[in-house]
Amino acid sequence: MNQEFSLTSETRNNCLIIATSGYLNNVGGETIAKEFSKHFEVGTKEVVINLAQSKVVNSIGMSFLIDIIDQLNNANGKLIFTNVDPAVDKMLSIMGIFNFAGKENSVEDALKVFSGQK
Amino acid sequence: MKDTVTMKMALPRIPNIELVAIEGLERLAHHLGISDEKIGEAKILVTEAVINALEHTGKRDSTVRVEFTMTTKEIIIFVRDYGKGFEPTSVEEPDIQAKMGATRKRGWGLKLMKSMSDDFHIQSNKNGTTITITKRLT
Repeated sequence: MNQEFSLTSETRNNCLIIATSGYLNNVGGETIAKEFSKHFEVGTKEVVINLAQSKVVNSIGMSFLIDIIDQLNNANGKLIFTNVDPAVDKMLSIMGIFNFAGKENSVEDALKVFSGQK
Repeated sequence: MKDTVTMKMALPRIPNIELVAIEGLERLAHHLGISDEKIGEAKILVTEAVINALEHTGKRDSTVRVEFTMTTKEIIIFVRDYGKGFEPTSVEEPDIQAKMGATRKRGWGLKLMKSMSDDFHIQSNKNGTTITITKRLT
């Protein structure tokens, strides 16, 4: 069971897409926050976080994502989670995160939301 | 196959040690024929209980005791630390609306454990804190 955290990122149509892998803990959350900041500072306001390869998360890692959502919402931006594991989905729902961030089945669906196609 | 399986461990305070507890949980679940899907929420409960304990554990005995008792119907998760304890009723219930704009975004562990479990008990005093969680698996 390799749970070492890593991420990949790409931009499509000014949207930052971060795909995580492994345990999303405090280190993972901080790594995402650093990647986000690099793009946010130059104007990126649409972010997708693909959790397909992160089946284990903790609330400390999620607190970093709440901070990202807070920054985006203050800048009229938005974050959309995709490929969320059912248990993680329940966790984020209890935290109320989906009141301030979106959720889609896939990255493609999220991009459609940002482009107004969905 | 036994009807009830148990696992006990003493986890040292090192980064990501909670993953060891989760792996143990998964192995018990597979032994009993319980699917990953059904064990997903239990994994989050264990993660939150262990990181909470590691955060509060004391210097005298910085290990965290973890015990699982699992049947095909439920799991009982017991986590004990030996820290200075805290008053659980004094912990403010986190609210996402309030967290937006606030400096501190953390503090979700107890809420998640209460909300995702079927039964939750916490006892805390100057000798440490014990958390007992029951989660149905059916």
